[in-house]
This record gives sequence, structure tokens and C-alpha cells, in this order.
Amino acid sequence: MKKILRYSCLSLCLLVLGLALGVVAHAQTPAPAAAAPAPALSPADAQLKDAAGKAPSTADLAKGDPGGSITGTINDVPAADSKAGVTLPDVANQVGQNKIAANFIWTLVTGFLVMFMQAGFAMVESGLTRVKNANHTYMMNFFVYTCGLFAYWILGFAIQMGGSAGNSNLGGLNSLTGEHSMTLFGKTWGLFGAAGYFLSGHTYDVGVMVIFLFEMVFMDTALTIVTGACAERWKFITFAVSSVIMGAITYPIYGNWAWGGGWLSQLGSNVGLGKGYCDFAGSGVVHAVGGLTALAVTLIIGARIGKFNRDGSPNPIIGHDVSAVLIGCFILAFGWFGFNPGSTLGASANGNLRIGTIAVNTMLAGCTATLGAILYMWMFKGKPDMSMSGNGLLAGLVAITAPSGFVSTFGAAVIGFIAGVLVCVSYFFIEGFMKVDDPVGAISVHGTNGLWGVLSIGFFADGTSNYGGSWNGVTGSVTGLFYGGGVGQLAAQLIGISTLIGFVFTLSFVIGLILEYFIGQRVSVETELAGLDIPEMGQLGYPEFVFRPEPAMSAA
Amino acid sequence: MAANKQQGSYFGLFLAAATVLCAGIAYFEGASGKALLALGAIALIGSLFGFMGIKPLEGKTALKPGPEGMKLVGAAVCALGWFLTLAGIHITDSTGGRIVFALLGIAVTLVGIIYILPAAFNKNAVWKADSGASERAGITAAAKTTMEHSR
Repeated sequence: MKKILRYSCLSLCLLVLGLALGVVAHAQTPAPAAAAPAPALSPADAQLKDAAGKAPSTADLAKGDPGGSITGTINDVPAADSKAGVTLPDVANQVGQNKIAANFIWTLVTGFLVMFMQAGFAMVESGLTRVKNANHTYMMNFFVYTCGLFAYWILGFAIQMGGSAGNSNLGGLNSLTGEHSMTLFGKTWGLFGAAGYFLSGHTYDVGVMVIFLFEMVFMDTALTIVTGACAERWKFITFAVSSVIMGAITYPIYGNWAWGGGWLSQLGSNVGLGKGYCDFAGSGVVHAVGGLTALAVTLIIGARIGKFNRDGSPNPIIGHDVSAVLIGCFILAFGWFGFNPGSTLGASANGNLRIGTIAVNTMLAGCTATLGAILYMWMFKGKPDMSMSGNGLLAGLVAITAPSGFVSTFGAAVIGFIAGVLVCVSYFFIEGFMKVDDPVGAISVHGTNGLWGVLSIGFFADGTSNYGGSWNGVTGSVTGLFYGGGVGQLAAQLIGISTLIGFVFTLSFVIGLILEYFIGQRVSVETELAGLDIPEMGQLGYPEFVFRPEPAMSAA
Repeated sequence: MAANKQQGSYFGLFLAAATVLCAGIAYFEGASGKALLALGAIALIGSLFGFMGIKPLEGKTALKPGPEGMKLVGAAVCALGWFLTLAGIHITDSTGGRIVFALLGIAVTLVGIIYILPAAFNKNAVWKADSGASERAGITAAAKTTMEHSR
């Protein structure tokens, strides 16, 4: 009896234990449906499960990963349902986010490089001016960043990019859908954007922030070109107001027409002119706009005292710091690797791996342009002039900016060499024939060569680029005359050039005249002769320097 | 005059006015947007007239009044070139024709930029004046003063 009772108790205990374990097991994992069999895993899901099983454990990772071979596995892919583990949709979402993340990082970092170009501009421009104006010139280059950024935030960005939705590299930018357009002869033409004032409302968006930063530093580059051409006699207050207006209106309007979905970019889709106006990184949008605005203001502001003799012959006015000029040029060349390759707005997808070609094109054009400028000066003027050598490098970089994404290395080398010669010819023409005083050669570097860069696409685009299969909404690659593309692309580029010199220059000129009327563009004679540092800035750039009297002053 | 407190004040007003103006544009659909737009525009014009009020304090500049009409003609010629190019897009359907119009437009604009405007601004340029005129303009005297000051 006792034996039976003992076995009964043992059985009961086992039963209770078994039930308890079953309940616990039920609580831990969902009970398999008693009737329905478990759904079979797809091959992809099975592979994912397998990969999850083989992934290194936390304990493995705790030992360190000096070779980097076990860091970054399926464990790092977030699963929408942690119980189900990583699924194929999870992987697809992560791939998409990785693409956008790579493009965000690329665009931001290249934007940071472009921002650093401000330092290069400051050094070049100040180095090419006299020591008595160093503080003033540096301050213009410093303050233009603030003026431009503020103006672009409150208005400029909305005008330029407010209608530019559809960029798949940066997640679509779908909140930028405010392009105002007009219908003319049955075609719709974009005029200006109107979304993104103060980056508020729907444009408070991660992708929009990235494109804002990148476009803003480009805009600021255009603004700082003007300060060089007008150095040594421009009133600081007029410079500040002028920069705000340029950052808010002048630059963004043309930027919209070329890059923001405006009418120039629609010349291909609307009237069949190539792929529409093409300007990969801004020879026209940035440099020609800056250079032509510089020409407009320089005409109004007049030549520095002592620059021209009574017979019109020019006197050289030597800058004060060779090292600043040439180091500044190198900083600019470095920043240009942000300017041109960054203009893909991404490193992943849509043919963006062409960034290597674009970077090489950029450095090659700078190289051949420097050669062109040095050879020109050496052969025709007798010396390999420092300032024109630096300007030669910059001219090549300016010229290759628009075609960098569309041409071969051979094309880039030719475009650069022509730019190097052109900058010298243009400088002496503007100074000698037009009697326009440009202390740093900004009009020739950025204006003349910006136009040359725009034009060169019509000849040298080789038809091998493929940014998603189309450009400006027209299927195919940008192809110029020399590569069998016909004259359609050339026509679009010429219309862009005409718009730059006919519209942008005229608008800048009229704004300049208005500012001359209300504020006055030029400092007084006393201020100019004393140097602008003390009267305009309150302190000398180099307090311990002793000024020499300038012979040109008494001649004036 | 050089830089001074009044300039700083009016520049501050200019920036504030521009900000209010742009806020008005951004929210133009609502009544407050229109009010902001009007307020900003008034303040902006006020800042410009403020600048104009202190402009004479700057003193004599190395610029002489030129033929104003010629400057405006130059600007008009520049714009005319662009209009020619625009017209060409619609007047003809052929790519060659559009290129011809674009080249014509560019040439007209360049006449304005290279010939008319420099001629207008250089007509009475200070550097063309004889030394006596420069003396009367106060340039030499100012130069001497500056040179002495610099030493």
C-alpha cells in the first residue's frame, strides 16, 4: 500500500512539474498552433534566419574586433518585429536608409569643404590688396558669410529650391513643391520657387536641411566674389546691404532657373534643346553670377585712386602678401573637391560613382589652367607672374565646374588650358580696354571663365555620364557637339549665357544703381587714401606696419 | 564719415524689415501675413531713406557725376540682348535659328557691357581730370594729409 502511495505521489509530483513546465513554456513562447502547421519560411527568410544564427554573439564582440570582420552584421539591422527577427522588408528598408545616409554624409561633408573655401577667398583677396585695407577686405569676406546665410534662410532658398522636389538621392525632397510657373505658347516654364521660407512648415525636413546647407555655401561663394573686385574702396555698409540683396534675390533667381526646376532647365523637355541648360556644379550659377555682379558694381564704384593715369594707362597696384594669395589658392583648390564632386548630391545610386572622374577632372583642369596662365605670362610678359598663376589655377577650376560631371579627362585638360590663357587675356582687356579696376581679377576668373565653362559643355560633354538615365527630365546623357550630340545642347548653353549677361548683369547693375542712390557705394577720398582699415573697421589689419607714401596719390 | 552708429542702426532696421517682409511673403495667405508684408515694406523703405539721410556725411568721393541717361541706355541695351534671345526661342522652331538669335542677343548685350557702360562711367572719371581739377577735388590735399598721418 505504501509503495502504491509512494508511486502515486511521485506521479502527481511529476504531473505538477510537467504542468508547471508546460505553463512556463507556454508563457515564454507562443504555443504552436495545435492544429495548423508552422508556415514554411521563404528561402530568403530562411537565409536571414541562418545568417542571424551565425552572427557573432555579444560575447564574441566583447573580445574586441581588431580586424573589423565581425562588426556590422545582421545583428545591426533593426527588425520591425523583434519576435519575428530580421525579415526581407527590414533588410530592404535598411538598404534604402543606407543609401540616403551615404548621400547625406557625402553632401554634408562636401558642403563643409565648400564652406571652408571662404577662408581661401579671404586670403586671396586680402593678399592681393594693400596692407592698409587688409582688415576691411578680410572683414568683408567674413561678414559676407553671415549676410548671405541670413538672406538665404529668410528668402533665397525658397526662391531657388522651393520647387525642386523629386531628388531621389536625398529622399525625394517632396515638401519642396512650390514652383511658380507661367504658360507661354503652350509650354509651362518655371519662374521661381515659393516653399521653404525660414525652413519652416513642411520643409522642416531632414533632406531639405541637407540641400539647404549645400546650396547655401554655393550661394555664399558667389557673394564673396564681388568683395574682391570692389576691394579697397567699397563702403562696408553698402557691401553688407548689397550682399543681403544678392543672397536673397539675384543669386536665387538664376539658381532656380538652372537648378530649381526653372525654365532654363526645361529647355530640353519643352523645346528639345539637348538636355536643357546644364551646369553641373555652377560655373554659371555660382561663378558667372558672382563675376558679372562684380563687374556691375565695379563699373559703378569706379577705379581706385591712382590705378589709371590721365592717358588711361593702368598702374599696377601690388598686393601685400604673396603667401596669403598662394595658400589661399590651395585652400580654394582643396575646397573645389567639395564643389564639383559634391554636386552629385550623393555617392550612392543614380550613377554617382562618377565622383572619382569628377574629382580627377577638377584637379586636371586646375593643373592645365595654371600651365596656361604661367606660359602666357612668361611668354608675353616675361615673368611667370604670381597673381596670374594663382588666378590661372582658379580660372581652370571655375571653368571645369559646369562640365566636370559630363566630360572626359581629355576634355577637362583642354577646357582648363583654355581657361588659363583666357583669364590673362580677359584681365588685360577689362583693365586696358574697359578701364575697369578689378584688384584681384575676380571678373576674369569667375565671370569670363564661368561663361566659358557653361559654353564648353555644348562642345565637350562626351555622352558617357548617366545620372539615373536622364538629365533635366530628358532621357539620355548630356552630349556636346564634338561627341556627336549635335547643336541642341550648344543652343541651350548659349541661351544660358545670354541670360547671365543680359538678365543677371542688368539686374545687378540696376540694384547697384539703387544702392548708389540711397547709400552710396564708395568711401570718401580721405578714407580711401588713408586705407579703409581705420575709418571703416576701427583698427588696422597690421598695426605695426609703417605705411609708405604712395607716388600714385600725388599723381592723382 | 566712414562707418558709424547711424549706419549700424539703419542696417539693423534693414535686416529686421527684410525679415518681417519675408515672413509676410511666407504667410501671405493669412491676414497677418499681409500685415507683416506691409509693415516690412514700410520699414525697409524707411531704412533706405535713413541711409540716404546720412549719405552726405560721407564726404567727397573719387567719383564724378556721369551721363545718367547713357548709363540707363547701357542697361537697356544689355536687357534688350536677353529679350532677343528669349524671343528667338519662340519665333523659330529650328535649333539653328535659336542659336542665331542667342548669338545676336549675346552680341547686343556685350555692346552694352563692353562699350556703352564703360564709356558712360569713364566719361568724367577722376583719373581723366588734370592735376588742377584733382587739386580742386581735394584729392592731393587729402593725400598729403593721409601721408603725414601715416607717418
